[in-house]
Amino acid sequence: MAVSVLFRSIRAELTKVTFQRHTVRCVQSAADKALLVKLRKATGYTFINCKKALEKFNNDISQAESWLHEQAQKEGWSKASKLEGRRAKEGLIGLLMRDNAAVMVEINCETDFVARNEKFQQLVQDVALATMAHHCSKAHGGYRKSMLSADDLAKLTMVEGPSVADQMALTIGRLGENISVRRAVSVGVPADWHIGSYVHGAVTGQSSMPMGRYGALVVFQGGPEGQAEAFGKKLGQHIVGEAPVTLGNMEDLPCGESETRLLPQTFLLEPKYTVGQYLTLHDARVLDFIRYKCGESASQEVE
Amino acid sequence: MAALVGLRAGFSALQLTSSSLLHSSFKLCAVPLSRRSFAAEAKKVFSRDKPHVNIGTIGHVDHGKTTLTAAITKVLAEAGGARYKKYEDIDNAPEEKARGITINASHVEYTTANRHYAHTDCPGHADYVKNMITGTAQMDGCILVVAATDGQMPQTREHLLLARQIGVEHVVVFVNKADAVEDKEMLELVELEIRELLTEFGYDGEKTPVVIGSALCALENKQPELGLDAVMQLLQVVDEYIPLPKRQLDKPFLLPIEGVYSIPGRGTVVAGTLERGLIKKGDECEFVGHNRSAKSVVTGIEMFHQSLDRAEAGDNLGALVRGLKREDVRRGMVMCKPGSIQPHQKVRAQVYILSKEEGGRHKPFVTNFMPVMFSLTWDMACRVQLPDDKEMIMPGEDASLTLTLRQPMVLEKGQRFTLRDGNKTIGTGLVTEILTSTPEDQHNWG
Repeated sequence: MAVSVLFRSIRAELTKVTFQRHTVRCVQSAADKALLVKLRKATGYTFINCKKALEKFNNDISQAESWLHEQAQKEGWSKASKLEGRRAKEGLIGLLMRDNAAVMVEINCETDFVARNEKFQQLVQDVALATMAHHCSKAHGGYRKSMLSADDLAKLTMVEGPSVADQMALTIGRLGENISVRRAVSVGVPADWHIGSYVHGAVTGQSSMPMGRYGALVVFQGGPEGQAEAFGKKLGQHIVGEAPVTLGNMEDLPCGESETRLLPQTFLLEPKYTVGQYLTLHDARVLDFIRYKCGESASQEVE
Repeated sequence: MAALVGLRAGFSALQLTSSSLLHSSFKLCAVPLSRRSFAAEAKKVFSRDKPHVNIGTIGHVDHGKTTLTAAITKVLAEAGGARYKKYEDIDNAPEEKARGITINASHVEYTTANRHYAHTDCPGHADYVKNMITGTAQMDGCILVVAATDGQMPQTREHLLLARQIGVEHVVVFVNKADAVEDKEMLELVELEIRELLTEFGYDGEKTPVVIGSALCALENKQPELGLDAVMQLLQVVDEYIPLPKRQLDKPFLLPIEGVYSIPGRGTVVAGTLERGLIKKGDECEFVGHNRSAKSVVTGIEMFHQSLDRAEAGDNLGALVRGLKREDVRRGMVMCKPGSIQPHQKVRAQVYILSKEEGGRHKPFVTNFMPVMFSLTWDMACRVQLPDDKEMIMPGEDASLTLTLRQPMVLEKGQRFTLRDGNKTIGTGLVTEILTSTPEDQHNWG
């Protein structure tokens, strides 16, 4: 804080010194006002940078634009390192499904304003796609689940172009908040198994990918014919809602409100059954599940 | 003498409008009334000579919301209208509990030449929404802070969307960090852009006042034309542009009925705390709620066993009404100015569902959930319908719900209520829209 105050006051002093020179240049800059607005509208970069770019390249808009993109990457990195310590516990869970494979990622930011932003949602989607590509590159027939930590994720590269870390820095530069690609999980199943999924608190963005504050993946066999998706979603809703910790056994007896084993829990959508009974009824079997709540890992770290 | 002062302080406290203030000034008036060591009490007495307005700041994290708030207090402290609060004091928004809900917000108060302000600053979208629902400080207007160096940031859209959602109708713009921009024209462009954006969100972009300055300059006593003067100008603009909220006393009277008594030889008395307005002896009144309605005239008003000619909002009173039997009215109905309020059965409301830590349920709920709604002095079973894009509501979330009551009760836009299920308070909300109930809604109660 003190450093930035000092910095700004120095800058203010400098402004005063160079003021005279600038008033001369102002006359000339009147012409590129339209260009400045155009460049800003097209790129969305800050006014001050757009102006710098135009001055640097003598109002050549295409050169200015490419310079801005380069600058943004650099600025993103410096900003990212500056903001690194700030606590990020808002954000989104993104979910991506492919045939017999699913990916769930968590990306954190500081305020929920940013989580509603298109650029942030774009990042969530890009990271999910990168994780999916990583998963597919190693895929084989059987059941496979891999958890990726923040460090693993940073090493991944986007489907085409920069690494996840670079893309993250770019988004930080744009949005001005600390952002962290927290964790991801990818699941692949054999052809006759199903993956059910549910995302809660979904945001309405441009992206077709579901994103929200809670997400669940559930791996199961059987279930009603042809309705695997709807059935999986119901199970996913239950997992998000009741937050089971372990799977439990079919024979387990329910122990009241605080039950944390999935199978003996009362089924959220049809409270007259337990989850186990509901599954038996539909001739299904749950093999595994994963539940993400946005910000839960961040608060654990603090503790 | 001291007792007299105390009595007057007590009276003015009863006229208060905002619930949060009610709380604080009860504390203030409790001291003189109980005649405790008057001199030893170091707390400053709140003076009520200026109208009160609630405002807030919105804007991106690094655009200088907090610096501006600090600058305002500094500038006004020099004029004697505030206590200077440093950036660090404002920045760490403390967690506070209002109606059992945890909200992160920092509150600052200051006085301009004409008004007294309570200034709210929250870190996140959800905090502002909770703030609106609980009514800790309903914002009458807000200051949108935008940095001149950046122009509107990608999030500025989200901020304006929020202002719309929480019902802020008057926005004033402060273009901050003007000291870091040497080119006057760029400031014009920033202003132009923000006006366009305001219009896009349904605000009056043309007429919205935009003040250009630098909060940092004001804090560091530099470039007074951008610092001190700009902040003063901003405050003047806020004074002029954001209208005074309508005072509770000026509204038609409303008395939620807490109890009904029949006094032998005199008639029926209804008792309750006057929610708003004034009642005078001889006023016509109407009773509404619980599927009943009756008209009458107030023939007498009593408070603390003494009769009085008029009662004001906040008074706990008994009203003697003509020609009404005790069975005609019951608790939960309201006595109001005839025609000023109607019962409704179906409303849309913005509701916050308490998290488990706040004492709410640990489980989510789905559509057709049936809690009991408590508002004013009534309670009534209601059915919840979720919005189309949601399938369930988790604890700790807010949502726009459609609520259908079993019977029409007094409900109006802006009214607050609580939802309970069994012995737990599960949420609290604010009516945002009155809906007409369809015959279907009647049938579904079976």
